[in-house]
Amino acid sequence: MAVEYKTLHPQKYYNYYLANNIRPDGREFDKYRPIVLNVNSVETADGSAICKIGQTTVICGIKAEFCRPKAETPNEGFIVPNLELPPLCSPKFKPGPPSDQAQVLSQLIADIIKNSNCVDLKDLCLHPDKLAWCLFIDFICLDFDGAIIDACIIALMGALKTVTLPTVDYDAALDNKLVNIEERHPLKIYSTPVSTTYIIFDDKYILTDPTVEEENLCSGLVTIVLNADEVCCVHKPGGTALNEGQLFDCIQKSKKRSKYINELIVSAVKALN
Amino acid sequence: MKNEPLLCLPGQRLCLSDKTHTSGQGTYERQGYIYSMLAGTVDIVEKDGVQIVEVHTKGEQTIVPVQGDIVTAQVYIITQQFCKCFIKCVGDTVLRRHFRGVLRREDVRATEKDRVEIYKSFRPGDIILARILPITEAHTYQLSTAENELGVVIAHSEHGHPLVPISWTEMQCTKTFVKEPRKVAKVVPENPKDMET
Amino acid sequence: MTIDHKRINGPEETIPYELFQKLNTKSLTTQFNECSKDGIRKDKRKTDEHRKIFITTGVVSQAKGSSYIELGNTKVIVSVFDPREIPNRTDYSLKGEIDCEFKFAPFSCPKRKLQQQDSEEKHYSAIMKQALESAVCRHEFPNFQVDIYALVLHNGGSALSAAIIAAGLALSHAGVPMYDLITSVTLGLQNGEKLVDLTLEEETLCLSPIADSKSHGIVVLSLLSTHEQVSQFFQTGNLTLEDVVECTHLLTKACKDIVPLIQKTLAKHVVKNVKESI
Repeated sequence: MAVEYKTLHPQKYYNYYLANNIRPDGREFDKYRPIVLNVNSVETADGSAICKIGQTTVICGIKAEFCRPKAETPNEGFIVPNLELPPLCSPKFKPGPPSDQAQVLSQLIADIIKNSNCVDLKDLCLHPDKLAWCLFIDFICLDFDGAIIDACIIALMGALKTVTLPTVDYDAALDNKLVNIEERHPLKIYSTPVSTTYIIFDDKYILTDPTVEEENLCSGLVTIVLNADEVCCVHKPGGTALNEGQLFDCIQKSKKRSKYINELIVSAVKALN
Repeated sequence: MKNEPLLCLPGQRLCLSDKTHTSGQGTYERQGYIYSMLAGTVDIVEKDGVQIVEVHTKGEQTIVPVQGDIVTAQVYIITQQFCKCFIKCVGDTVLRRHFRGVLRREDVRATEKDRVEIYKSFRPGDIILARILPITEAHTYQLSTAENELGVVIAHSEHGHPLVPISWTEMQCTKTFVKEPRKVAKVVPENPKDMET
Repeated sequence: MTIDHKRINGPEETIPYELFQKLNTKSLTTQFNECSKDGIRKDKRKTDEHRKIFITTGVVSQAKGSSYIELGNTKVIVSVFDPREIPNRTDYSLKGEIDCEFKFAPFSCPKRKLQQQDSEEKHYSAIMKQALESAVCRHEFPNFQVDIYALVLHNGGSALSAAIIAAGLALSHAGVPMYDLITSVTLGLQNGEKLVDLTLEEETLCLSPIADSKSHGIVVLSLLSTHEQVSQFFQTGNLTLEDVVECTHLLTKACKDIVPLIQKTLAKHVVKNVKESI
């Protein structure tokens, strides 16, 4: 009976639960789902990680290639992040070019990488105006169950911290490159941004770390990205307005989580060595 | 037999196909044997002295509605000629992906078919019970509510309050007591408390 | 590189760094001999031995059925969705259709893949469809289409076989009626040797002809085990007729070897379901 009622009147179904201060999956409003992070899972990539938040699964793989720096920034390399939401991960997505949602999220990830300065693009330059690294960071969602951006950022940091690049001998005069595949060195990471998603349900409840069902029914969504103690990005695509107090409350909650996730990433990377 | 369910996998040979054993749901017959086509448990149903071998999956099933099935659907568009619905459940099974269905004016009720007016029978958002008619078009299921037990089961008034049936043509709002016309289904609720708001 | 307006584009020209490493100057024959010597391969397998297989179901919560398989290093995830109406079709078809999409993740191969399907992936999708079509009872869902999506996370060789095995299992997990369990194995020929369940290195070596050998190439065969029917046979390279017969025998045997594993995985899923429903 409950299943039938859920499909026919999902909004009401949720309201019953929320009125009793509990969510249908048994969590309290401000409880997170368990997180699993596995780093360096794909050997063909230069760095990779799989992150699971509850059922949501995202795999991130980084591949480095040579390129020529742009004329306006001769001593900088490139970072190219792209998120795929393939039809594999949810019946919502159809085969074909990226949906609007995927495009928005890809851009958001690009902004977070840029704002947080987690990688210095100058580190990616091998020889000014001649040779630089281009890091292709590809995210693929394997199971779409809400809070996708949170999973992406955790996977991103896990993958970035395991990136190793081969040493290159570059002869600028002859444009000769010699790569020593065996001798690899890690990339320097300057900070660890952490993202947390909240939804506003029925204009009054604020739920942390939503599932996809909750995201579909919610009246507003906000993603807060913290970089240590600094706010590095707040993404709020329309919906119900949040007042100052609520927003501040969310930031406080994110702060606590940021610490926990930082430790998680560090221990996952440590387990590798 | 009842206590210890018999597991089977697709392609597993279950038994000989003869006068006393025939292939039922979830099985197929090839070269005199009955094979399973699902991963599930074997059930044997006795009917007219013949044992029908069936295989059922305990989890979610992959089913599509067929002619004669009773379905639960939600109305989303009404016009003067027909109303369009999403089929959400087939029998007791909740569908993950909804199918489209069309209920024509002449299939709303069994009597006085010419005087049926769609807007006096259904409203967008209503949950209805309906029966699947034979398929004529490739892409939509034709539905019918021309039975006493079929029609609107859950509905809300214009202001969003639940309606309760008061006759087979009318429902009443629980808050404002305004009466609204509907083609009401005669249902015996399984558990009335669940339906209350 | 063409500009894709719906993705974030990198610089116009990028080159994989692997091209500039110290060149491997060994001849193909020596390279192959290193890979397989006296019937023992680089990873200490015999020529007809499978790599370690790990397989599980129910990995994608949003899908109707899903499975994940690891053949050694090869990692493939497959999900199956509910039947839906066949798009752009007006006539009624008595048999349902299945639609397969095979995709390599951009970082799954030594060379970076683009997000759009390339011709190899399209070819593999077609082979997958062919292999699975005869395993599914398509008359059970007339006029509908079942979508199957396979994503290779890490290509360590035999990715197509892995995808077919996983897809068969995912279909069964989704409760789609099937005539039989399907298994698939990749075999490579080179220099008179036949290797079962190829790694990526072996795959590359089997594809280029060595001067003095008659047969070389790759054969992929899928088998419906109970009925002993071959549902798909794909071959590239150059084989003599005797080799074709021998390969088919070897592959049929290799396919049967995996069946108990598939059965065990599915049985586990059924037992779990039965327990939950009690």
